[in-house]
Amino acid sequence: MVTPALAVVTALFGGGLVLGLAQSLGFVPAVGMDSLTVTHFTNVLGDPDFIDSLLLTLYISGTSTAVAAVISTAMALILVFVAQKNRLVHFVFQIPLTVPHLVIAVAVVFMLAPTGLVSRMAIKLGIIDSSASFPLLINDRCGIGILLTYVWKEIPFITLMILAVLRRSGMQLLDVGRTLKANSWQRFRYITLPTIFPSLGAACLIVFAYTFGAFEVPFLLGQTYPMMLPVWAYKNYSDVDLLARPEGIAAGLVIAGVVIAAIAISQALTQAARRRGVVL
Amino acid sequence: MGDLILINLDIRYGREPIVQDFNLEVRDGEMVSLLGPSGAGKTTVLKAVAGLIHPQKGDIIIDGQPVQDLPPEKRNAVMVFQKPLLFPFMDVEQNIGFGLRMKGWYGLKIRKQIEEIMELTQLTGLGKRKVHELSGGQQQRVSLARALVLKPSVLLLDEPLSNLDANLRQRMRELIQDIQAETHITTLFVTHDQTEALMISHRVSLLLNGRLRQVGTPQDLFYRPSDPEVARFFGGCNFIQGKVKDGVFQSDFGHVPAPEINGNGHLLTATIRPEDILISSDSTFEVEAEIEKTNFEGSTTRIWVKCQNTRFVILTSESKFFCGQSVRIHLPSEKIRIFPSE
Amino acid sequence: MRSSHGTIASAAVITAVVLPFVGLMLWSFSNRWFYPDLWPQQWGLRAWDYVFGTAGSQILTALIQSLLVASVTAVISVIIGVPAGRVLGLYEFRGKNLISVVLILPVIVPPLCVAMGLHLWFIKMGLAGTFLGVVLVHLTFCLPYSVFVMWGVFSNYNPDYEDQARSLGASSSKIILRIMLPMTFPGIVVAGLFSFLLSWSQYLSTLIIGGGRITTLPIILFALMGSGDRPVAAAVSLVFVVPAFFALLFSARYLGGRSITGVR
Repeated sequence: MVTPALAVVTALFGGGLVLGLAQSLGFVPAVGMDSLTVTHFTNVLGDPDFIDSLLLTLYISGTSTAVAAVISTAMALILVFVAQKNRLVHFVFQIPLTVPHLVIAVAVVFMLAPTGLVSRMAIKLGIIDSSASFPLLINDRCGIGILLTYVWKEIPFITLMILAVLRRSGMQLLDVGRTLKANSWQRFRYITLPTIFPSLGAACLIVFAYTFGAFEVPFLLGQTYPMMLPVWAYKNYSDVDLLARPEGIAAGLVIAGVVIAAIAISQALTQAARRRGVVL
Repeated sequence: MGDLILINLDIRYGREPIVQDFNLEVRDGEMVSLLGPSGAGKTTVLKAVAGLIHPQKGDIIIDGQPVQDLPPEKRNAVMVFQKPLLFPFMDVEQNIGFGLRMKGWYGLKIRKQIEEIMELTQLTGLGKRKVHELSGGQQQRVSLARALVLKPSVLLLDEPLSNLDANLRQRMRELIQDIQAETHITTLFVTHDQTEALMISHRVSLLLNGRLRQVGTPQDLFYRPSDPEVARFFGGCNFIQGKVKDGVFQSDFGHVPAPEINGNGHLLTATIRPEDILISSDSTFEVEAEIEKTNFEGSTTRIWVKCQNTRFVILTSESKFFCGQSVRIHLPSEKIRIFPSE
Repeated sequence: MRSSHGTIASAAVITAVVLPFVGLMLWSFSNRWFYPDLWPQQWGLRAWDYVFGTAGSQILTALIQSLLVASVTAVISVIIGVPAGRVLGLYEFRGKNLISVVLILPVIVPPLCVAMGLHLWFIKMGLAGTFLGVVLVHLTFCLPYSVFVMWGVFSNYNPDYEDQARSLGASSSKIILRIMLPMTFPGIVVAGLFSFLLSWSQYLSTLIIGGGRITTLPIILFALMGSGDRPVAAAVSLVFVVPAFFALLFSARYLGGRSITGVR
């Protein structure tokens, strides 16, 4: 009964990766290329544009994950200690989980574009005098729009992963800490943080992996140079120059590699935590 | 070392009262158990003393200092919970030393303390073990050591033995008794197990339905219960009615001199324990009764008798009695306990 | 902790979550809204008329296309996913870990990579530019997702109920219909809903495999953003969000917060 599922997945996913690998290694019998070559990979890895894209993507993923992690920790503490009874907040807080990234990206455009809502507010308040003097927040060098979109979407996810652990074992351990003379800072540093760390780490790696390979948001909110890696990969793939296609696929496989590595580390962290007895 | 005084404690959950008019004094070096059925509010009292719950009203005095306004971290009392709740990300030594580290101690100072307490709680050699590698009993001992090492004025134990299996429980009971005797640490011990309470406490306080019913030595509660409910809690189930006249309690089953009871003609209730009623098949005794049911329970036999419209339960070591038998019973007057009137 | 801190924090959270939608609502109901005005100069339903009226039939077609693709994907992924999840949740056997890994990879690896690899193959098989092709590529990650959800559901499922029914004389099909399905129903709906959402939000994989012939709502949305017609883009965004909101309501009501963390 598992076989149909496995068959479909193996065929489609496995097939997709394998075929992608084949094409990126130059093996496309259909058009007469039937020898393996690593030129495509070397081209890609040596391409300065690729390096720029990779660095930019690492920066965006890393920063959005880090910012989301910090805010999520704070949010988890707030939800558990200060706002436990407020069911409205708990419900509203989960809304971002199901909203497609694209919708938020669109909303971010409407808010942060030079002619967006924030800019209009700034003019009203006299801070700037024309749309040209509004700082570039989307399609910009720092990827502010992209960061905001990712942070908005990912905070509830990370927070809920932390909350699960905090509610289950954290609260009782904190009571123990109080009776053992730990003050609030000590409880946070020596009890709360170690307790949530495995969940937090696993969640962050998942977020990192996702934002590293996501296409839609950078496509809408990113700048034209340097592009984020998924956009660069696609641009190559769909380029008029057919020779760029395998390079796009190769870049895509690099992305897949990074993502898989991140998730593997996340799983290892989870296993280590389970063995330690901090049940996730 | 210190004492613990609880004055007029009133603890609620929202608007539901859990414990009311609670007054208790635990003297320096004493082990007092707080006994009662599950849900009676015992853990609540403990948490209030520890500072994890705020009472609606009342005073808590540890070592002569009122502590109601102090958070748990500042009170000189440590609570050991029902589950060991060891920090899973630390090993045994680190768990035990946690409180000391929070106080700012470190290094050699801590190590010596920890070693001593590990010896006291029979944990020597387990210092580097991880929490999940320990057995249930070991975990509970680490939890105890973690509290003891802080040398608090008051030690609060919340049913620490209920999660252990029967013979482990006995060993832990003895360990706790030994430790308490050696350290003279003032201890308030919560349990629902009456045998346990009677076994290890200096004094027992019985909490039923959120109210303190009686405080006294184990013998006091067992042999001289203050009211029928207390008696029933300890397995007493024989109640007789009688009137006091001229200093003598007179009932159909015996007369008891009761010089301390005033007044004449009041209807009072008295009780006698099942094992104290004497029974024989011949006419040694004067009160006639008929056996309704017998239950062989090993070293004793439980017999239900009917006697002049009253029923008694008798525990005897003889097993020769049978259902329907006519017997004679005797209620020795020195074993009859008269409940003071309301 | 003071309750006033809680209220401020709660208000901040609610504002942060709701704010983006406020912007979208305002834009979708505006007929003229030029810079630098803070409110639309003229309100109206032009955008909504366009979306649902005949003039915007392109949008309606895309909406229907999205619904069809997502629904079919969801149904297939549930049909295959439920038996797989059942086996994984109820039985122990070797290779479970391996299967777990095999199934989790497609969920993690970006659709981009898979779609690019599959494209050539699909072209050869005549699947490129077809409804079926798009559904298949969506299944690549929706199916494992369903399997995981159902795995979780069946891990908490007590098969003793089925044994009881059998000893009372029920046949296998009756057992499935009357016992298993009702008991696992919320889980099945979650699996279906989230498969639907995953497929519904897909852009690049649809674009690559669909090749411009299968046009779904996100594709239209991108085009609209390019065209600069903000009111219509806002309206389409709001339509785009609707199923997500329903999924959230359903999960919140039947399952509590935990299962939602599965949605990525």
